[in-house]
Amino acid sequence: MTHETEPEQAEATEATVVVTVVRSGGFAGLTRRWGVQAPPADAARWRTLVDDCPWHDYDDACADQRADDASRGADRFSWTLHAMLPDATLRADLTETQATGPWRALIDAVREVSGAAANASS
Amino acid sequence: MHAIVPPYLLRRLAATDEPHLAAAAEAARATLATPRVYHPSPATIDLSVEGDALVVEGSPDPDRVISDAAQRETLPGTRVRIEGEPPTGDTAVDEAYDGLGDTFHFLWDAFDRASVDAAGGTLAATVHYGERYDNAFWNGERMVFGDGDGEVFEGFTVSLTVIAHELGHGVVEYSGGLDYQGQSGALNESIADVFGTLTEQHALGQTADEASWLIGAGIFTAAVQGTALRSMSAPGTAYDDDVLGRDPQPAHMRDYVDTAEDNGGVHINSGIPNKAFHLVATALGGRAWERAGRVWYLTLTGGTVSHDADFAAFAAATAATAAAEYGEDSEEAVAVRTAWTAVGVTNGDPRD
Repeated sequence: MTHETEPEQAEATEATVVVTVVRSGGFAGLTRRWGVQAPPADAARWRTLVDDCPWHDYDDACADQRADDASRGADRFSWTLHAMLPDATLRADLTETQATGPWRALIDAVREVSGAAANASS
Repeated sequence: MHAIVPPYLLRRLAATDEPHLAAAAEAARATLATPRVYHPSPATIDLSVEGDALVVEGSPDPDRVISDAAQRETLPGTRVRIEGEPPTGDTAVDEAYDGLGDTFHFLWDAFDRASVDAAGGTLAATVHYGERYDNAFWNGERMVFGDGDGEVFEGFTVSLTVIAHELGHGVVEYSGGLDYQGQSGALNESIADVFGTLTEQHALGQTADEASWLIGAGIFTAAVQGTALRSMSAPGTAYDDDVLGRDPQPAHMRDYVDTAEDNGGVHINSGIPNKAFHLVATALGGRAWERAGRVWYLTLTGGTVSHDADFAAFAAATAATAAAEYGEDSEEAVAVRTAWTAVGVTNGDPRD
């Protein structure tokens, strides 16, 4: 099997943007982790992906959505995102239905890079 | 119109001119004036003659609708097979159709329950959800199946236990629900696993001793070192893989996992009530749905389990159900009490 990049590996001090994605739940209940540490040359693109997400709004705006998601259905994914920037450390806990738009773009980008790195090293 | 008073009585009431029945007569006339709507419900009717009597036996048939999301994440997708249509040749579509049918027949045969909603409602499923989407879920209205990522999961419709598990969530929800967090969430998951394994055992005609008690056998790719996602007979042993790690399910309260992930470990700690059910079923022997499953089902649907019940509350409720159905000192009641003690949920007697 291919190996994913563990978030613990994504902590180089010279990195300007570090993003980790943790997915838990689902029918399997498996927790999977992906991470990226952007080199300075690629930091601007990752900074844009991070800045596009409503980190500071999601708590209030999505509280009702989270409660609604919890009241119906089962076996959906839960997502936890961390972003470490030179000037901030951000975290978001999202239900699957919340992980859309810019959140989804960031998640997909991290997973894509993690997968590419794993395939290149395997 | 669903009427409990037969039409001939309504007509007699409507025609009466007795003063003390004036209100009833008016109500009857209003009822008769209401347009009638015929709600057809598929059923299988068996006719036979016993002596001079014509015997009519009926059982409901499923009403299945399978849709195809075509790798998008939009529900419900395009309808591709409805009840009575022949196989499409699409494996996921046909497996979902067959699995829904097996689950429907199990619910009726074991518990006289007509479909997930107990009212003969449509069983809806969507397959081919998302790109390399490695999950199956219940969204409150339908079952949704991804195709798997090809690395860890092959797909989800291959296992009847997965399909029946998702329908089990529907039964839980229609029975009042269990909050999807912490111990109540783990009970929700465990009961869905119970429906999953019992449906498979029913379809295969297995006794408790013959059953695999595995959930999700066959959905891993060959690259994964594991036989299934969960083992109800031996929680924590379903897989041990270099990437996925070891199956984290506990089988005893002393190993209960406190975690914020997975809605408080609902898929992890469900191993404890799963093991309790397995212990009851194997202690009683025979077909697990006939006694162990019946106790669990009557407990779930009996209205005594609150939406935020913890393991101890559910244990007490199952013990009460077993005692009420079979007697305080019955083999069934003893098996239930013994099982909950064995997994550390109760300390000797779940009724305490």
